[in-house]
Amino acid sequence: MRSHRSYTPWLLVAPALLWLAVFNLWPALNTSVLSFTNVHTLSGGSFIGLRNYSLMWQDPHLRDAILNTLVFMAVCVPLLTFLPLLLALLVQRTLPFMGFFRTVFYFPVIASAVVVAMIWQWLLDDRGLVNGLAQQAGWIHSALPFLTDRWLLLFSAIALTVWKGLGYYMVLYLSALGNVRRELHEAAAVDGAGTVRRFWSVTVPGVRGTMALVAMLIAVNAMRVFAELYVLGGRTGGIGGQDVSLVMLIQQAASGADGRLGYASALSVLLFFLTVGPLLLLARWNRRED
Amino acid sequence: MPRIRTLLALATAVAALAGCGVGGGSGEAAKQTVATDSPLKGEISFQTWSLKNDKFTPYFTALIKDFENQHPGTTVNWTDQPGDGYADKVTSQVTSGSLPDVVNLPPDIAHAVAKAGGLLDLGRNVPTLNQDYVHSGLKAYTYADLGTATYALPWYLGTDVSFWNKAMMQRDGLDAAKPPKTFDELVAAAKVMHDRSGGKDYLMSRPPGLGDIVNSGTQLMTPDGKKFAFNTGGAAAMLDKYTAAYKAGYLPSNVLTSTYEGNSALFVKQQVAWTTAGGNYIQSVQQSDPSLAPQIVPSPALDTAPLYVQGISVAAKSKNLPLALAFAQFATDNANQVAFIKLAPGYLPGTTAAAGDPAYSKSDGTPQGDASVYAYQDMQNAVNFTPPLWTDAMNTALNQQIALAMTGKESSRQALDNAVNQANQLLAQ
Repeated sequence: MRSHRSYTPWLLVAPALLWLAVFNLWPALNTSVLSFTNVHTLSGGSFIGLRNYSLMWQDPHLRDAILNTLVFMAVCVPLLTFLPLLLALLVQRTLPFMGFFRTVFYFPVIASAVVVAMIWQWLLDDRGLVNGLAQQAGWIHSALPFLTDRWLLLFSAIALTVWKGLGYYMVLYLSALGNVRRELHEAAAVDGAGTVRRFWSVTVPGVRGTMALVAMLIAVNAMRVFAELYVLGGRTGGIGGQDVSLVMLIQQAASGADGRLGYASALSVLLFFLTVGPLLLLARWNRRED
Repeated sequence: MPRIRTLLALATAVAALAGCGVGGGSGEAAKQTVATDSPLKGEISFQTWSLKNDKFTPYFTALIKDFENQHPGTTVNWTDQPGDGYADKVTSQVTSGSLPDVVNLPPDIAHAVAKAGGLLDLGRNVPTLNQDYVHSGLKAYTYADLGTATYALPWYLGTDVSFWNKAMMQRDGLDAAKPPKTFDELVAAAKVMHDRSGGKDYLMSRPPGLGDIVNSGTQLMTPDGKKFAFNTGGAAAMLDKYTAAYKAGYLPSNVLTSTYEGNSALFVKQQVAWTTAGGNYIQSVQQSDPSLAPQIVPSPALDTAPLYVQGISVAAKSKNLPLALAFAQFATDNANQVAFIKLAPGYLPGTTAAAGDPAYSKSDGTPQGDASVYAYQDMQNAVNFTPPLWTDAMNTALNQQIALAMTGKESSRQALDNAVNQANQLLAQ
């Protein structure tokens, strides 16, 4: 009876483990192996040692890609960690039409990233709505280069990502806020704490676990940014490829009938390590706070 | 220790399995000689690229029926792939071993497939190849890095013709009956249009590419064909002129961004008065926008015209090579090509017997008829601008550098130097 019990848990988790092994572990290992070969889309590869990794440092776009990706993550993580919390606090109240507002804020989450990016493209184009209105109002004389200036394009993509992600993380915070004990707020209010003080002393500690989770999710998603920059900036990654992200670089290397799969795999390994670093930092921060 | 042994075993297994995934092309399959003396039988698959529609479907249905009637006991299964992502589709077919037996491929995709050993050498299997098919077409499917083999039968040839919007040009003081003939005349006319319309109308609407570099008198590669070397003074001067025109506002400001729809789309929207397109463009516009078609005036391509070739290849790993080879030859024989081109005026057959037919040089007096004649004339001297070694990644690098030059972030010379360096680095990989 006891031996029967010992393998029952393994049987239960076996489908999940199998899934993980076939669709996560195996591709990851395969990618690592391919990164040491010169395999192309249609031609077999041979072992070339660390050549792909040395080629990486000669890639004129790698530095830009790392910088853009890290800036994207550094700006998105704090914004998307705190703004949805504030939004959740606003829509948490039981006022008339609050369900409507929650739905409205969640709406961009449902739309595909490509559709959202195309809408923003029309808004931010030289002849788009934003430039048109600003010019009509006399605030600017010539169009602001949202889609052609390196930093404006990057921050446009960040604004788009924040706008699109607000609703999703707001929902996560709404469920976390429901677990913050009301008595703590009431006790703090009795002690004379104002709204801001109660936010920092009661709300934030109460949802810190969720904040850490949200920050990690955003960090991972930010490191994988692709559609926003691809649609806003074009397939080359903005003017001269200055707004290319790491995932775009991987896509560019691997696409086409002459795709350099070995090199793209080496870039993927680099992306993996760059993503793991911030995640470990966030996890460590969360553990220390505990 | 047992743990280390397990890890080593796992790593070895992973490496072995990954090796299987790498795959590889063998040139041996391509070099085989097909036995053509036995009767034809069995089934093959035939794939075209974006040709299943009201106009062409009846042609292919009749073509296949005709072949099957001539060879009882044979079946040709026709599939057509949509226009977008054709290279990716063919790539996945090659890697999954499901490339159709007979397949329509442009030279760049054919090069990648041939390099992987996926296409039959037709020079070895069609004794009359050089007599039957036009040399420019055969040349497009013969790749210096793959020896002397020929990997497709030329099917149809196309080039660019210039098309002008008569009403827009008249409105801005230009004469569509005397359109620009060179790039310099184009820039001068673009200035007139820009100034007269207050910057609302455009004549030029595309950034330069590889074709413009060739048209500046530049050889793309070194004489031995082993390296790119298009960073010349002539190419830089051409890029300087484009940059000056862009800065002066003669081109739409978004030609370098993702919102640029392409000069053909802008021409249809009547925001731009000049586009280049295939010889049957007016016929296409007649169907999509009958009000615009009468406004279109054709003229020969500026400077040297580009040559576009489409060919029919045979998969080296076909399980019925005799039938595949016979059908490829049947589809591209003179009679069938002539019948095919009748549906697409402005294109030329890939057979020598038809391509020189003087009938193609006679216009019926309509603008579409004139365009067809210009296409015929242009094709006599047209050049295939894109070397087979030129990949998507190289094109991306060139476009990026051109964009940097046109926005003043780099000098034209520096941009071309960078593009050449990147292209050569990619070539070495």
